[in-house]
Amino acid sequence: MAEQQHGKAVQTTGHAWDGDLQEYNNPLPTWWLWTFYASCVFAIVYWVLYPTWPLGKGYTTGIKTITFEENGKEVTTNWNTRARLIKEMQTGEESLKQKAYLDKVSQASYQEIVNDPDMTAFVNSMAKGLFGDNCAACHGVGGTPAMIGQYPNLGDDAWLWGGKVENIEQTIRHGRLGYMPAFGTVLDDAQIDALANYVLSFSEDTVDSNKAAAGEKIFKSEAAGCYYCHTTGATGLYSQGSANLTDAVWTVADVPGADGLDAKLEAVKGVIRNGVKREMPSWSGRLSDTEIKLLTVYVHGLGGGQ
Amino acid sequence: MMASGAVAVDTQYNYDIVKRFAIMALVWGVLGMTAGTYIAAELAFPFLNFDTAEITFGRLRPVHTTLVIFGFGGSALFATSYYIVQRTCQTRLYGDLLPKFTFWGWQLSVLIGAIGYMNGITQAREYAEFPWPVDLLITVTWVAYATVFVQTLRRRSQPHIYVANWFYMAFILATAILHIFNNLAVPVNLLSMHSYSLFSGVQDAMTQWWYGHNAVGFFLTAAFLGMMYYFVPKQAGRPIYSYRLSIVHFWALSFLYMWVGAHHLHWTALPDWTSSLAATFSILLLLPSWGGMINGIMTLSGAWDKLRTDPIMRFLIASLAFYGMSTFEGPMMSLKSVNALSHYTDWTVGHVHSGALGWVALVSFGSLYHMIPRLYDTKLYSDRLVITHFWLATIGIVLYITSMWVSGIGQGMMLRAFDDYGNLAYTFVETVSFMHLPLAARMVGGMFFVSGILVMSFNIFMTIRNAKLEQAAMEAKIAAKMANAGV
Repeated sequence: MAEQQHGKAVQTTGHAWDGDLQEYNNPLPTWWLWTFYASCVFAIVYWVLYPTWPLGKGYTTGIKTITFEENGKEVTTNWNTRARLIKEMQTGEESLKQKAYLDKVSQASYQEIVNDPDMTAFVNSMAKGLFGDNCAACHGVGGTPAMIGQYPNLGDDAWLWGGKVENIEQTIRHGRLGYMPAFGTVLDDAQIDALANYVLSFSEDTVDSNKAAAGEKIFKSEAAGCYYCHTTGATGLYSQGSANLTDAVWTVADVPGADGLDAKLEAVKGVIRNGVKREMPSWSGRLSDTEIKLLTVYVHGLGGGQ
Repeated sequence: MMASGAVAVDTQYNYDIVKRFAIMALVWGVLGMTAGTYIAAELAFPFLNFDTAEITFGRLRPVHTTLVIFGFGGSALFATSYYIVQRTCQTRLYGDLLPKFTFWGWQLSVLIGAIGYMNGITQAREYAEFPWPVDLLITVTWVAYATVFVQTLRRRSQPHIYVANWFYMAFILATAILHIFNNLAVPVNLLSMHSYSLFSGVQDAMTQWWYGHNAVGFFLTAAFLGMMYYFVPKQAGRPIYSYRLSIVHFWALSFLYMWVGAHHLHWTALPDWTSSLAATFSILLLLPSWGGMINGIMTLSGAWDKLRTDPIMRFLIASLAFYGMSTFEGPMMSLKSVNALSHYTDWTVGHVHSGALGWVALVSFGSLYHMIPRLYDTKLYSDRLVITHFWLATIGIVLYITSMWVSGIGQGMMLRAFDDYGNLAYTFVETVSFMHLPLAARMVGGMFFVSGILVMSFNIFMTIRNAKLEQAAMEAKIAAKMANAGV
């Protein structure tokens, strides 16, 4: 220790507490003192450069400035985090790169984007982030939700509202209201059972064929009227958002997850009894036109876009 | 001989209250650290919520922080301050009912607070979640605490006030001011547990973080420095390194801490000048903070072999090393450019725990190991278990801090990464899945730490049990002797 090199024995303060509790009176360590002075210099330099001390209604602005563009004019202000953001968005390397692509994409048609590998790559890179931060909460990362029965899978080639770019754009822009009335009070248990057998007959060959035949009659009858939306071929209508029941793709009833025919029937019956009510919100207020465009191309590419 | 000595000490000092607080420190420590490990597990494996509102992360997190800061830390501070102020003033603690009142007031506040949080009763201010009626109870308890402490100081039979007491005094005073101003609120009605803050918007945030950081500064730093200033020289059997340094760093610390809270609000609606000023004061605070570390560690200079031979000394010195590390990390994180990366990530969580586990908990463990055998006039049940505890705790802390660096710095880097097109390279959810592994490692770190305090609790339990057996045996012996002598 430096202070003991002077050859003097260090003295205590002469006080003692609780028996043996004493204090040496060593001087402040030199390195400690000088580092403390250095931190004071740092603070003072900082105070000179940046806004720090309050002065009545204002504050010391510091001598450091930021110059950026506002309405075509150059503006210079004292350093502050808001100006820094504006400047970085105007002149940052990454920001300029993104802007160049965005300008190009916003002018291009869907066809032009898909035909240009560079633009497509940009769209996929940016829309992946947009999708992840806005859509993935329901549709899952990559468009495949974790649970059937919650939200439609965007990674397959089945579309409820149409898979053309204009359909997808409309879906994102205005949202969708998926509605099927509940038939639990309209039909009796036997009728619902028959209908479920009919619906499942498209994808399962173990269903009771007599019940399925009875179900088909109900499906196409005026009493139930299923065919209004699902069509007589049960293939669904994009204009109604009604599901295609023949393609073995399930978005509400968890048929693939059900174990055994009875459970699968029960899953379908649940939908018939309770109906469907689900909503995708409109994104036009939250995303810009270009962002919607990017997402449309992205979602179109996720599954088999039409 | 021993028994009569113990009786004399018991009448000279009020040890009963110290014992109560010391034991409650361990009880809350076990509960609070277990709660912390459980919510750490929930973050890595969310199914552990079991869809039960009372045990979700949001409800259990304030339970964890309240039990460890106020339950464990607070009780340890009450215990050690009552012990130190009596011994260094050589006088009995002021009053008999008043210290008891501080015990029940404090324990009830922690208990009511924790049960309330699980049921959704909170005023949603970090580290000050207590609803207003509990805030009032805390205020009354704190006034009683201040009275006991100051009156004991006034009755001292020593001309000088020992440095540890300055730090406890600063802690008591600052905590009172912080508690009152941050909790200024208007109850919805007198029967409601809910209230509205007197402040709004960014002023409210500013008040909250003025409180939040000074809770760290005066509750978790100054007060525990008081603990350090007594137990390190006592355990080492050597004088404090420098009286002069203790004065300089005490006043520098007390003055500078009050300014730095706004560094929690960088890049927000708070004006730039406010948070920049706080950042510069945070840098100024580095060396005064280190003053305490230097004074503690240098006290051991010339007796370094104690680190090998004395397991309690290891706790105390390791705590100072972690204190030095986290008080270096803190000022760095207070700079806007570093904060832009670290804020809202696990780096902050790791930083807090390097202070909380490394400094606050280790210095408390060391002090309790020193103090409890003396309270019961006996020896520790097992020194080997102290060493076991030391390694469990140290491994736990290192695992905790490093995994949070990986998780926090990793997430921060991912959130600012760009790809070749100038787009953000990662979505938020990708950063979450990246964090899974470090979060699981953090959970394991927590398990180590909890195992450590369980080992300690067993050791302390056996120590107290043995002390009672010894005392009973001694009394029987004396009684037999007296009978033999025909008295």
